Amino acid sequence: MVLGSLVVSLRTLGLIIFVFTNMILIILAFMLIYMVWRKAHEKNFSKYRMLSGLHIRRTVFYDGQIDPETGIPLTRRLKRMIVKKIFRRLFTEELISAKKNINGAAAINLKHLYHQLTLESYALKKLSRDHWHIKAKAIQELTLMDMRELKEELFAYTHDRNELVRMEAQVAMVQFNGFEGLRFLDTITYSISEWQQIKLLQKLSNLPPVHIEIDGWLKSSNSSVVVFALKLARNYHRFELHDIIITCLDHSDAQIRLQAIHCLGVIYTDETSVHLISRFWREGLPHQLAMISALQNIGSEKDNTFLGTLLHNDNYEIKLNAARALASNGLKGQAVLMDHGASDDQLNNIITQVRGEIAA
Amino acid sequence: MKILVAEDDELMLKMLEFRLKKDGHEVIVTHDGREALDKIDELMPDLVITDIMMPYMSGLEIIGAVKARHPGTMPVIIISGMGQETVVLEAFQLGADDFITKPFSPNELSVRVKRFEKAVYA
Repeated sequence: MVLGSLVVSLRTLGLIIFVFTNMILIILAFMLIYMVWRKAHEKNFSKYRMLSGLHIRRTVFYDGQIDPETGIPLTRRLKRMIVKKIFRRLFTEELISAKKNINGAAAINLKHLYHQLTLESYALKKLSRDHWHIKAKAIQELTLMDMRELKEELFAYTHDRNELVRMEAQVAMVQFNGFEGLRFLDTITYSISEWQQIKLLQKLSNLPPVHIEIDGWLKSSNSSVVVFALKLARNYHRFELHDIIITCLDHSDAQIRLQAIHCLGVIYTDETSVHLISRFWREGLPHQLAMISALQNIGSEKDNTFLGTLLHNDNYEIKLNAARALASNGLKGQAVLMDHGASDDQLNNIITQVRGEIAA
Repeated sequence: MKILVAEDDELMLKMLEFRLKKDGHEVIVTHDGREALDKIDELMPDLVITDIMMPYMSGLEIIGAVKARHPGTMPVIIISGMGQETVVLEAFQLGADDFITKPFSPNELSVRVKRFEKAVYA
């Protein structure tokens, strides 16, 4: 009985050792195969990298005349390799990296190379993929490689449902068409984020100003388009839009009203301050402070009485900003400030501070 | 002219090396700030071209070290990215002699280097 159970235990132990040994052998075999595969992969990768670098350098320094038919001379090896997905991906990455760092004739050569290898067709294929990040990256690639020939295809993506895809496409339009590239604003229904507005304005700031029609955008039903148009009007000093901007002071969207106030601090006439003052008490604190800041720039003697009343407001910020606006309204404004200050200790401190600011 | 180039982007480094060699210069390539500084002391180049952003030691630190160790004898050109105006100003305060902004044309680099060639062989 005891002997029987001992035999069974020995058999079980043998089975365990057998299974365990086999598992170790399988793991070792797997590791070995993986290491061989990885080594081959790394070897290929460094070979690909060398080949990419070589061709890109040759292209950058190619100083011959580029034949419109044949383009830049390419090796048969490169033409053969470019159909391989891994090589193509690496090559495109290197090409983009070089294009980012180089300009002038060398950059034009790189664009030729990109087009000659029909790499834009692969990027266009990615646009039909479902993943937004693939689409956004493809648009970014086409923009960087200056594929302005494809702007009509990319325009559709300025209205994409994904925000980042839209952003890339809108930037592409501005890069390819300058101010005219903003025509997507005519029809866009999605909101343009604050960050995207900054990006677009930054992109436009590198271009020579061009007169474009923005009246329609100031009346757009898309609030973010109106805000963006107000920023354009302010940055590019579109004085002829003054009256339309005044109408934005009565818009139902608080953001538009605030932007219009900022805008009127730059685009103004003699009557602008009257428009601001007449709407002052119906606005909240941020808008009121923005109005006083605007008055600091555009105010005149006729606004001193109104600003003087603000010196006795309960809000410290309103008092301080009103004092600043009066101080910048010439000697008469400063006289009003001193008259009001005589009766109020807090106001006297504010006057001292404003005087210090002027002296600095 | 013996030129040391410090740049961590391999492709960019090769392109700079190719262009400068084509212009007839002797080129020493380095991949990071630490390696650059070692080679500067060892090989005493006539001109240093350095990227701003690099591993171990930035281009700004290289300028500081070069100007402290070899005052008035080793000009430095810095390569900066777009929007790095404040860094460029800092580089000039540290003694940088010229700067070039990415993206740049290889021909522009050649012209800028030539200015220093004249000074070295004057």
